[in-house]
Amino acid sequence: MAGDVGSIPELDQQKYDSDQQVKIICLGDSAVGKSKLIERFLLDEYRPQQLSTYALTLYKHVADVGNKTVAVDFWDTAGQERFQSMHPSYYHKAHACIMVFDVQRKITYKNLANWYKELREYRPEIPCCVVANKIDADLKVTQRSFNFGKKQGLPFYFVSAADGTNVVKMFRDMIKRAVDYKQNPSDFMDEVLQELESFQLEKMEENAEAEDEEQKSDQILSLQ
Amino acid sequence: MRFQAKRCGVQFSPPSIILIYQQLDTNKVRKRIIPVRNFSKYSDYNMAAERLKNHPRHKDYLENVSQGQLEKLHIILRDHLQGFSLEHSLASFHLDTDEDLNKLGDDELARKKGQMDELFEKNRKHKDDPDFVYDLEVDFSKPTAERCSWDEESEDDF
Ligand SMILES: Nc1nc2c(ncn2[C@@H]2O[C@H](COP(=O)(O)OP(=O)(O)OP(=O)(O)O)[C@@H](O)[C@H]2O)c(=O)[nH]1
Ligand SMILES: [Mg+2]
Repeated sequence: MAGDVGSIPELDQQKYDSDQQVKIICLGDSAVGKSKLIERFLLDEYRPQQLSTYALTLYKHVADVGNKTVAVDFWDTAGQERFQSMHPSYYHKAHACIMVFDVQRKITYKNLANWYKELREYRPEIPCCVVANKIDADLKVTQRSFNFGKKQGLPFYFVSAADGTNVVKMFRDMIKRAVDYKQNPSDFMDEVLQELESFQLEKMEENAEAEDEEQKSDQILSLQ
Repeated sequence: MRFQAKRCGVQFSPPSIILIYQQLDTNKVRKRIIPVRNFSKYSDYNMAAERLKNHPRHKDYLENVSQGQLEKLHIILRDHLQGFSLEHSLASFHLDTDEDLNKLGDDELARKKGQMDELFEKNRKHKDDPDFVYDLEVDFSKPTAERCSWDEESEDDF
């Protein structure tokens, strides 16, 4: 569907079609703590692969989900605006998305709307969650409710990459959801549904046109 | 630990890091001047700070001075060598929570992150800490959470 827009010559993204591979992307503004969160989850399990031209760091991880072993690639992206044109390759074939904001900076929360909108243009159905990071800076924020994503039913996590609160839980949940999604991709269903819908729309338009014509002929009739 | 760092600063000429510290056995407060050598306006402040932090003659004194703080002092030195004023350097460290950091270049962003690192390091639990819990979980779900004021304007966006 996305054609070539998502291709990065250095990376084989075909592998994400295989059953044992999932791709999870981390999105959010600059300095909200995306990289620190992944590092906290993986500790120093692996040396990441840096692709600086794409403002991308790739972390590999192996997880057991149920009785299956899956290879998880975390795509750690950069928030900086000058890498905007790279975004399609981040979204391409992703199976889940972790959206992060910084509880100390309102602007990063407000910007979630933009990140989410863009994500949905490319991946209308993949599992996604909202992560409030840096709660160690001010624990009081955890008494507040943040409503972004409530309507869309996105799970919400209060976390701290510094002290580790809920980091592992959040990543494990998202890996599981990515794997579930992979086994049961609803994006495909969506496409079929959309086609059905547009098909019906066309039919309705045809009918509407026919009615219009009738009206016109009525008018002509009445003019005569 | 034998030395408790009290304050740490920078001197432009000759380029040096100044450390005020307390000698813990005698409680005496002393000043140590650490010359910064081989540091030009093109040098990597990250590496320079790291080198200093691990310097065999100085590292005991710098034990409780963070890497971030040392980086900052080297940035100020480098800015000075590049002809920027001290005010400029200090402003670039200032964290304005309303500023959109997505618009910054690498160097400016690194400065802001350096600033954030102070709290990060302070609150950080390391995996070698005795009370480290890898999968620490805390349930914050409350039946009566206050509505967040950040949601109040432009509700429609969401
Ligand atoms: N207090 C506190 N600070 C944090 C936490 N997580 C990250 N930080 C600070 O935020 C800074 C930025 O974190 P990064 O992980 O580099 O942010 P990022 O989202 O990857 O940023 P980009 O890659 O530039 O888009 C770090 O240098 C830390 O100082 C946290 O949980 N608590
Ligand atoms: Mg990052």
